[in-house]
Amino acid sequence: MEPVIETRNVCRYFGEDETRVAALDHVSVQIERGEFTAVIGPSGSGKTTLLHLIGGLDNPSSGEVFLSGTNIAEMSGTELSDFRRDHIGFIFQAYNLIPVLSAEENIEYIMLLQGVPANKRHERVREMLNLVGLEGLGDRRPAHLSGGQQQRVAVARAMASNPDIILADEPTANLDSATGVALLDIMRQLNEELEMTFVFSTHAQKIMDRARRLVYLEDGKVERDESK
Amino acid sequence: MLFKLAFRNIFRQRRRSLLTGLSMTGGFVLCTFSFSITQGSYGNAIEFFTLDHTGHIQIHWEDYEQRPKIYKTIADRDAVESILEKSDEVKAYAPRVFAPALAYAGNQTSPVSVIGIDAELEPTTSRIKQKVRSGEYFNEALTRNGFAKAMIGAGVANRLNIGLGDEIVLISQGADGSIANDIFEVVALVGTKDSYDRSSVYLPLVAAQEFISVGDQVHEYAMLVDHANSSEVIAASLQLQLDGVTPGATVSPWQVVEEAFYKSMQADLQGNYFAMAIIVFLVCIGVLNTVLMSVLERTKEFGVLRAIGSRPAQVFKLIFVETMLMATLSIALGYLLLIPLLTFLTQVGFVLPEPMEMGGVPFLHLKGGVNALVLTAPALIIYAFAALVTILPGIRAVSITPKTAMSSH
Repeated sequence: MEPVIETRNVCRYFGEDETRVAALDHVSVQIERGEFTAVIGPSGSGKTTLLHLIGGLDNPSSGEVFLSGTNIAEMSGTELSDFRRDHIGFIFQAYNLIPVLSAEENIEYIMLLQGVPANKRHERVREMLNLVGLEGLGDRRPAHLSGGQQQRVAVARAMASNPDIILADEPTANLDSATGVALLDIMRQLNEELEMTFVFSTHAQKIMDRARRLVYLEDGKVERDESK
Repeated sequence: MLFKLAFRNIFRQRRRSLLTGLSMTGGFVLCTFSFSITQGSYGNAIEFFTLDHTGHIQIHWEDYEQRPKIYKTIADRDAVESILEKSDEVKAYAPRVFAPALAYAGNQTSPVSVIGIDAELEPTTSRIKQKVRSGEYFNEALTRNGFAKAMIGAGVANRLNIGLGDEIVLISQGADGSIANDIFEVVALVGTKDSYDRSSVYLPLVAAQEFISVGDQVHEYAMLVDHANSSEVIAASLQLQLDGVTPGATVSPWQVVEEAFYKSMQADLQGNYFAMAIIVFLVCIGVLNTVLMSVLERTKEFGVLRAIGSRPAQVFKLIFVETMLMATLSIALGYLLLIPLLTFLTQVGFVLPEPMEMGGVPFLHLKGGVNALVLTAPALIIYAFAALVTILPGIRAVSITPKTAMSSH
């Protein structure tokens, strides 16, 4: 079976000559469809950089990144935008919802980019809000939602486009531990029920405990790769 | 959704958007005001002299307009009049003859311009009938004393110290080289001492033709068309037709006939456009500042939009729509403000404390004009410049990578 994600000897350097730092050093990882994987490691270990490369938000200095068999490093800006829109869902640490749009509209926006008809969009938005437990809060703007609620909207937004994979960069870092755990439970539930592939970074033990696979990064290298 | 997003983004920074919007409104209103005054003043001036004496188009023989000679007459009147009659664009026309003359009455003499006009056709082309201040508008019939009738300008009446019923003797040269002299009887006083025709003596066409011995030929046809603006096009069309039947007849629109005025007007318009460009430029600096600030503040947000799949062009479009929306709201407000302003300008206007002269045409009243140009050009200028100022911030927003944008604060 073809992996959803495959990185082959990916390196990512920042700076030049003496100031050059290897954020990722020959990282090769494969993620299969339906996995619930946590990328863990101390600060500066390269977790976020790896997620950025997998998500096509950054280009590797060397090596290759394949998403659903496509080498995303070879794509143009517009191709990459379209690819992200149709194949990747993002959940960010700081939620990053559009502040002037309501929860519903934030979820709907990506489907609008995909050209989904209005009736299907609205149906999908309702479905997503139900899945993340935000029924009745769809008309609220982000400023009128708690941090946990905003992150659940972000989860719904990431899922709305029915992507191949959802990448979450420290999704619980701005939440208290109880809310963080609750959010992870929702993500895990979606993974189990819908077989949605999740890859998320974290350094919180309670969150790691919920992952089915742990990829340990240290100094930009994969130290361990464990499946539970 | 795009419009919703753009609309809400405008109101994120209400105070800043309000100030920017008001500056755009101000620029739009100032531009429209300036356009209206320019169009109104020149429209009035053009109407003034075209209806006073030039008409919208004139026909002469060869270079009569530049070098008038008494013998340069249009001989084939039937051919000319046939074309004018058939033309749908020509509303009215009138034939005229001209001659310089020396007038005397009693022991006073004065140089005058003799203008022979068709008593019936001339009022359809000029305001001659309305300019009769005393006496009666003349006709071809002789007076009870057996003299041909004459209408004289106020300046002539004043210099010769004559009035209604008095005789006036005119001496000139005939087209055949003979001495032309005859007695005419004043039946009307025309215009004021400031009028274009203050030194003119109007004669019935036939009497004037006999006086200067040009047979039934004329020096000029003046005509009115539906719109003064279309004079050049219609003149060109008439010229083509006349070239086929009576080569030598020269058709000139009012822009050629009143060349000095037209050039002054064009120069003045250029100056106005320059002033307007400065206004719009200053407005645009403000708009550019606002759009740039807005883009810089939302760099992270644009990064998110790009990350979740918005194409660079879609991000650019969002910025463009926001600016255009702000321009639209500003222009809409401007139109509301312009309703009373333009009503005042067109209906009342300003009386100039001192008459202003341009190219020989006096401006006594400053009134605005409203036409499609006045109502649309300033709005289009504002839209064009607003579109222009989105380019730089737009490029900045789309050129930054999502990763870099999202790591900004």
